[in-house]
Amino acid sequence: MVILTSLVVPAAVAVWLLTGGRTVSHRTANLLASVASVIALAAVVVAVIVRPTVDRAWVPSLGLRWQLAVDGISAPLLLLTAILGVGVVLHTLDRPPKGGTTAAFHACLLLVEFGALATFYARDAVLFFVAFELVLVPMWVLITRFGDAHDAAARADAGGRFVLYTAFGSTLMLVGILALVAKSGTSDLDVLAQGGGHGIPVGTQTLVAALLVAGLAVKVPVFPLHTWLPPAHTTAPTAGSVLLAAVLLKMGTYGLVRLPLASVPDGFAKVAPVLAVLGAIGIIWGGLACLVERDLKRLIAYSSVAHMGFVILGLSSGTRTGLQAALFANVAHGVISALLFVVVGGLKERWGSADLETARAALREVTPRLGFALIVGLAASLGLPGLAGFWGEFLSVYAAWSPAADRPEGLFRTLAVVAAMGTVLAAAYALRVARTVWAGERTAPPIEDSRDSEWDVIAVLVVAVLLLGIAPGPLLAMTGDAVTTIVGAAP
Amino acid sequence: MSAAAVRLVVLVPTVAALIGLLLARRIDPRAARFVAVGASLLAVVMALLQVIAVGGSSRVTIVHTIPALEAGELRIPLELQATVGTATIALVVAIVGWAVQAFAGWYLREDDRYGIFAATVSLFTAAMLLVVQSADLVLTLVGWEVMGWCSYLLIGHWSRNESARRAALKAFLVTRLADVGFVLGVVILAAGAGSTAYPQVLQAWAATDCPDAGACAAPNATLRTAAMVLLVIGILGKSGMVPFHDWLPDAMEGPTPASALIHAATMVAAGTFVIAQLFDVFAASEGARWLLALSTAVTMVYAAVLAFGQSDLKRLLAYSTLSQVALMLSALAVAPADEGPGAGVLHLYSHAFFKALLFLAIGWLSVTVGGTAATAMRGGLRGHLFIRPAMFVGLLSLAGVPPLVGFVSKEHVLAAAEAGAADGQARAWIVLLAGLLTVVLTAAYCMRAWLVLDDLTAADIERHDADTATFPVRALVTVLTILTLVGGLVVFTPLLDLGGHIGWLVALLSVLLIVGAGLAVRSLANGEDPAVQIVGARMPLFDNGFGVDRLYVDYVARPVVALAHLVVFLDREVVDAYVRGAAAAASLGGSGGQRAHRAERASSGLAWVVAGVVAVALAGVALW
Repeated sequence: MVILTSLVVPAAVAVWLLTGGRTVSHRTANLLASVASVIALAAVVVAVIVRPTVDRAWVPSLGLRWQLAVDGISAPLLLLTAILGVGVVLHTLDRPPKGGTTAAFHACLLLVEFGALATFYARDAVLFFVAFELVLVPMWVLITRFGDAHDAAARADAGGRFVLYTAFGSTLMLVGILALVAKSGTSDLDVLAQGGGHGIPVGTQTLVAALLVAGLAVKVPVFPLHTWLPPAHTTAPTAGSVLLAAVLLKMGTYGLVRLPLASVPDGFAKVAPVLAVLGAIGIIWGGLACLVERDLKRLIAYSSVAHMGFVILGLSSGTRTGLQAALFANVAHGVISALLFVVVGGLKERWGSADLETARAALREVTPRLGFALIVGLAASLGLPGLAGFWGEFLSVYAAWSPAADRPEGLFRTLAVVAAMGTVLAAAYALRVARTVWAGERTAPPIEDSRDSEWDVIAVLVVAVLLLGIAPGPLLAMTGDAVTTIVGAAP
Repeated sequence: MSAAAVRLVVLVPTVAALIGLLLARRIDPRAARFVAVGASLLAVVMALLQVIAVGGSSRVTIVHTIPALEAGELRIPLELQATVGTATIALVVAIVGWAVQAFAGWYLREDDRYGIFAATVSLFTAAMLLVVQSADLVLTLVGWEVMGWCSYLLIGHWSRNESARRAALKAFLVTRLADVGFVLGVVILAAGAGSTAYPQVLQAWAATDCPDAGACAAPNATLRTAAMVLLVIGILGKSGMVPFHDWLPDAMEGPTPASALIHAATMVAAGTFVIAQLFDVFAASEGARWLLALSTAVTMVYAAVLAFGQSDLKRLLAYSTLSQVALMLSALAVAPADEGPGAGVLHLYSHAFFKALLFLAIGWLSVTVGGTAATAMRGGLRGHLFIRPAMFVGLLSLAGVPPLVGFVSKEHVLAAAEAGAADGQARAWIVLLAGLLTVVLTAAYCMRAWLVLDDLTAADIERHDADTATFPVRALVTVLTILTLVGGLVVFTPLLDLGGHIGWLVALLSVLLIVGAGLAVRSLANGEDPAVQIVGARMPLFDNGFGVDRLYVDYVARPVVALAHLVVFLDREVVDAYVRGAAAAASLGGSGGQRAHRAERASSGLAWVVAGVVAVALAGVALW
């Protein structure tokens, strides 16, 4: 019941906004969307506590079912999505969208939230795929219609690239899912995870795992499949960037845990070393790109590539610690990147561009609130202990140093060293941004400091970054049991 | 009682930092000052309670904090500990923290960002106290990194100056680069023990000399050496040892209270305490001890030479810190395994007092004379009833004159080196020789500083009349002076676990060396600044640290940025090329197909159909 509430309410409001309510005013649309997202958040919170399940027949002849549930792996991501769902709507309150009707904008935000929640709830491989794809369309609209007003061609390019690239990845994933379902005779993710790939020859498992990993890797994104991300982030409106970084990317890593890692562990073990190498390359690659990138939003996008590298490395290690690290880093990156994109998006609105080479007033001098939020975000991004980013990255380096017995130890240890070097690059680019944007003596041209709804959203995210950093225990405990089930199920 | 005191020692400054952050935007600095100074005093009280509670017993009390983290195979208990050593050093840190807060409340009274500065100092102190009290590698790492971040904020406090921004960036990046070693060392140690708690780590990695070799599994010696070498690299970075040393003198761009804090009892000296906690493992890894011995031996002499030629007295103190920290770390590198880390920890204790005293006194003086350059400070001490005796005691202690605290601890370090040399360690000879050379050089630059500061010919007593120093400032300088005078008595108490004794022969030798060097510098001075007489025109070379900064830029920063440009190029032209290629191919195929259709006439279409039918028929016949 609560699961359905959290899905139906945003979807219904979104549909009404797109059809009957196309002409409502900005205030009304925002109020409606706020109510919908708050109801969804309340329902998600209840669902995370009560852990109900929904199980209805969908296509009986194919054995497909509407199967929705909550467990330790999806719960943090559901909460993240629902909280940010409220956050982005709230953030829109003071900034009426340009490029289309405000109703459509809000509808797209709600649809993204709906699709993401459905993805994290889904316990049926085909249902998962459908929900996974559902998110693309509203996101495409957000990027191409409501994105950066300066450059229509860039919007079209970024939006098209985003949809085509991820749809291409999804195709690979669909083939993988179909092969998996055909081989094991069920599309129930729980049954698949319990089966742990028994009865499927290792060669087939490897093929299935490779297809699934390749498809999902586009979404994460894993080097070298990341080039859709920077343009998408650069052009997307702030709310879109936040959802993209904090929610959509997480669907990729979540899929990696649910599908290849849990369902075909033996096949995944074969693919894992390659994936881990690509993750480590991503850490260095993204970090280096950030050192010379001129556009602040692109820079944060490249830093996402680096951070997701840590998640991938943790996932590939095959240990419980590694999976815990990956799930933690996943949520932490969601919160940190949301914070950074709200701040940086706000700066781009105020500055008119996000070019780092243009001389501007130092944030520390003219906008203490934005400056503070930026410095917290940067500190978290470089993995400062006491803030959210540290635990996931430290544990994933640890996991890479002591991987599962069936992983090549020497390779993974090398990758641990590489990943640790990546944290220096993170420090270098974070401080580079701080030195150019935050510190300085210039006070002209003046810009307005953050206030009202934007500041509320920022404050909540700052507190979340601090809480996750100071008390990582609850989140680790939340994922702990589910992780033991998945990794413990591997023979 | 000790458990509560241990928790509060760390918690009080942390909470003070949070409250300070909330108060930082207030225009009136009084609330921020009250919180900062009050909390630092409370921390001193808590540290004292801990000392009383531990009371010289050799027991280790483990203190629980938040629930342990269960991260899969790894267990992170997040516990603190109370021992004699932690209690004493925590007290030292808390006292220095209080002195710095009290001083900053006056020194930065007109700074518009005093509030945030005080909050950062509180957090910095909390982080150091966490490192001291930690019984868990991860907590140590947390405190370690938070200190690094606070040092970035403190050094860059005056962020309106480009030089401060650069110094802050340099300090953080250099130490962070070295910290890769620290993190990996922690990871390796934790991986071997399956836990990050010190007792388990020590048990898993320390040298086992059990009679029955089969009964206890010997730790992997190669891996142990790797872990400790990596850990030492991290410590070399934070402590500013060669080759990571060049960030520390630049860090003088920060306000003087920040320098006092960073140099005296926290970040720079923290590595000493971390190694002391892991001493049993460290003593068993020859490679790591050699690395530490060589780096510290080079640093102590090199930094002392540089200290002598500085044209800025604050930078002279900065280089003297490098030299002294090298001395304390060298004790750990050469002390015989059965003597333990006592000598190094004792020097950490004593250096904290006299270096805090020197920095705060010179900061105070700089306010009345208007700068820290040797030329501006000339004769500055004359006529100041407070700073002159404080500076006198501080410099004598730095030089190692008996019976001051600096003498006691330095002789313990040299005695440890002597004992190591008697054990037949080649590296101990290197450290002992470097140490004696450092004694000479230290006496020389201390004499120089005194001759400059106390120059009667340049005295201008009137400028002290406008001194606005408040009562807390005078009180803290007095307290630090007294501690510097009598702090050496600690060796007669059970507050520090020493293990070694002063070697009287070496002590006599070093006193003779000190007197000789002092007299020599004095006679060469001829009433001038001795450094001008001896170093002369080469002073700018000393001021920029023999140009090591250029090496950092040319051999590390530039290549990395060049690599970054290459990566961006590859990203655009190679990694993204297949994406654009796919798009181009699709649109090319589309337009080609469209053209083919447009060019098609109905008759030719019909011809294709006929051809197809014929082909199918032929195939049917052939396959019949």
